[in-house]
Amino acid sequence: MRNVLTVFKKEFYRVITDKRLIFTAILLPGLAIYVMYSLMGNAIGNEVEDISSHKMIIYTENMPDDLHDAIVDGTTPVEFHDLSDITVDDVKDKIYAGDIDLLIVFPEDFETVLDGYQDVDYVIPSVSVYYNPSEKYSENSYYVVTSFLGNYGYSINLDRHGDDLTIFNTSLEKVFDENKESARGFAMLLPMLIIMFLFSGAMSIGPDSIAGEKERGTIATLLVTPIKRGELAIGKVLSLSVISLMSATSSFIGIMFSLPNLMGSSGEMSNGIYGIKEYVLIFLVLLATVLVIVGLISMISAYAKNIKEASMLILPLYFVSIIVAVSSMFSGEASSSLVTYVIPIYSSINMLVSILMFETVPLHLIVMIASSLVYVAILIFIINKLFQSEKVMFSK
Amino acid sequence: MNTLEVKNIKKTFKLSRKQRKLDKTDEKYKVAVNDLSFTAYPGEIFGLLGPNGAGKTTCLRTISTLIKPDEGDIFVGGSSVITDSFEVRSKIGFLTSELKLEDHFTPNYLFTYFSRLHGILEEDIEKNRNELFKRFGIDEFMEVKVGDLSSGMKQKTSIAISLVHNPNFIIFDEPTNGLDVLTARSVTDYLIDLKNQGKTVILSTHILSVVEKLCNRVGIIINGKMKVNDTIENVKNSHPSKDLEELFFDLVKEEEEGVLL
Ligand SMILES: Nc1ncnc2c1ncn2[C@@H]1O[C@H](COP(=O)(O)OP(=O)(O)OP(=O)(O)O)[C@@H](O)[C@H]1O
Ligand SMILES: [Mg+2]
Repeated sequence: MRNVLTVFKKEFYRVITDKRLIFTAILLPGLAIYVMYSLMGNAIGNEVEDISSHKMIIYTENMPDDLHDAIVDGTTPVEFHDLSDITVDDVKDKIYAGDIDLLIVFPEDFETVLDGYQDVDYVIPSVSVYYNPSEKYSENSYYVVTSFLGNYGYSINLDRHGDDLTIFNTSLEKVFDENKESARGFAMLLPMLIIMFLFSGAMSIGPDSIAGEKERGTIATLLVTPIKRGELAIGKVLSLSVISLMSATSSFIGIMFSLPNLMGSSGEMSNGIYGIKEYVLIFLVLLATVLVIVGLISMISAYAKNIKEASMLILPLYFVSIIVAVSSMFSGEASSSLVTYVIPIYSSINMLVSILMFETVPLHLIVMIASSLVYVAILIFIINKLFQSEKVMFSK
Repeated sequence: MNTLEVKNIKKTFKLSRKQRKLDKTDEKYKVAVNDLSFTAYPGEIFGLLGPNGAGKTTCLRTISTLIKPDEGDIFVGGSSVITDSFEVRSKIGFLTSELKLEDHFTPNYLFTYFSRLHGILEEDIEKNRNELFKRFGIDEFMEVKVGDLSSGMKQKTSIAISLVHNPNFIIFDEPTNGLDVLTARSVTDYLIDLKNQGKTVILSTHILSVVEKLCNRVGIIINGKMKVNDTIENVKNSHPSKDLEELFFDLVKEEEEGVLL
């Protein structure tokens, strides 16, 4: 036990006295997430604002005054022009180039034509609209104008047929739990990010701490001391776990602070919905998960000949974990099958989803944590065996 | 009681495909050490001399319990490397060849770390450190990170760290390799010190002058086999016409021809 502590302290000291490692392994993940998400959130927010404040440039011919006035009175600023000194083809070219947003052409004496709707030889008139769906302003103008056009048509129908046109009234009432909405957002985003950052912490220090001993030859100096191989394995795994947990916590804080910025534009997410209970549960799951991930990375690092080989061998494991995380991200809800909670990493992701959705099943949590501890014990046993194997430790 | 007896050890390695290609051989196995025996005595330095790939490192790793012999046994002060490996470990100080201590740590930190792993009491750690660091002139540099030390200082630190528990058996694999003359000299001087303290010293080298100046006994190992195993005087006396260098060349040539036949 004393030896475990000695090894633990040395490995821990290695990282926390190294400014570069503190920055890259612990601070950077959180900071990077915060900056990235906040910028993304701002960009989305700006985009929405930009479109709704843009002045629509619309060319018209024979537009009815009622419709014209209605659009001018609308919330989107607009600038109308008529076709008096420009041809339709020129306007189309300019719509194509993005200089004009929309062209709407009504037949001559449109309103008079409409009034003759009961004549025997009445022909339904056509209104032509030109816009460019690949230009964001033009596309937005199209939505604005067509909705006004729809209303205009509806009001003419009312004039013609009176109230009997109305078949039914709809009354809308939004019945939903706003927290649930936020919770779903978190449950989709967080688990994958957390797994990614648990890995990135462990991956940046694990290979150096274990495969590095072989590369430098210090493994021989270590193994001729009377320390038990198991103590060495436990000391290393524990210190790597604590550091990875610090790294994951930093990422977690980064995520929590930046999500309101990211989601702020749509106003649907707020991190205030979770209480102490959820944070404690999340921490428990993180702890169990980090032990498993660090155990796996340590096992690979103990097997590899050098740091480079260790990093290479860890990559496939990392990708598989990310794929598992992404697939459960799309399902959007936690699995209800007990078997799920004994599968490493997959269990962690489902557990996180259920906690974030306020649907924690105590049995699932217990099974998940207990199975993780069993895996860690097995992994430490294997690492111990690897340290004992002269073929693995002193291969050529 | 402080003798070290190597008794008929044999060690065979299975060669990986990659290694077979590198060694340009079709053999699946390599007998790195073949029926090797020798005895090292307290107050003496035993020099294991041999060309590259002769089996020196394999032999020293077996003595240090890092690898197990396929056949034979080694007794370090009476303890078997096979059955009492923990006891053997507390008796030996092992310096692996081309050891690179972690750059980030200071000699001071590493000394304490390895002392604790050896189970040394805190007050003794302090005493040992003062003694060893002073002896090697590391005391001025003991708070400088290993990465910032000269290669001579690094090697001296490595030696100090392999001796934290004041062992009676010193097993050094190529301790002067890659050092300048001055640093090499201070290392060999220290080995003589250890010998005079009554310790049993074994070192490997492919440098003949080191053996001639330093060692009481020499074992010339070629292709895993012990060709000569005697005191330096006896070796010189039994081949009066040759110096050690000529003898060494003749033995290597003889072995190569033998392998070819
Ligand atoms: N772990 C291993 N796996 C396979 N072959 C090995 C292993 N260790 C050593 N060998 C082979 O055994 C032989 C002896 O190697 P060893 O390292 O003991 O030689 P050495 O005398 O120390 O040489 P050098 O002067 O190059 O250090 C070599 O042919 C080497 O390739
Ligand atoms: Mg060697």
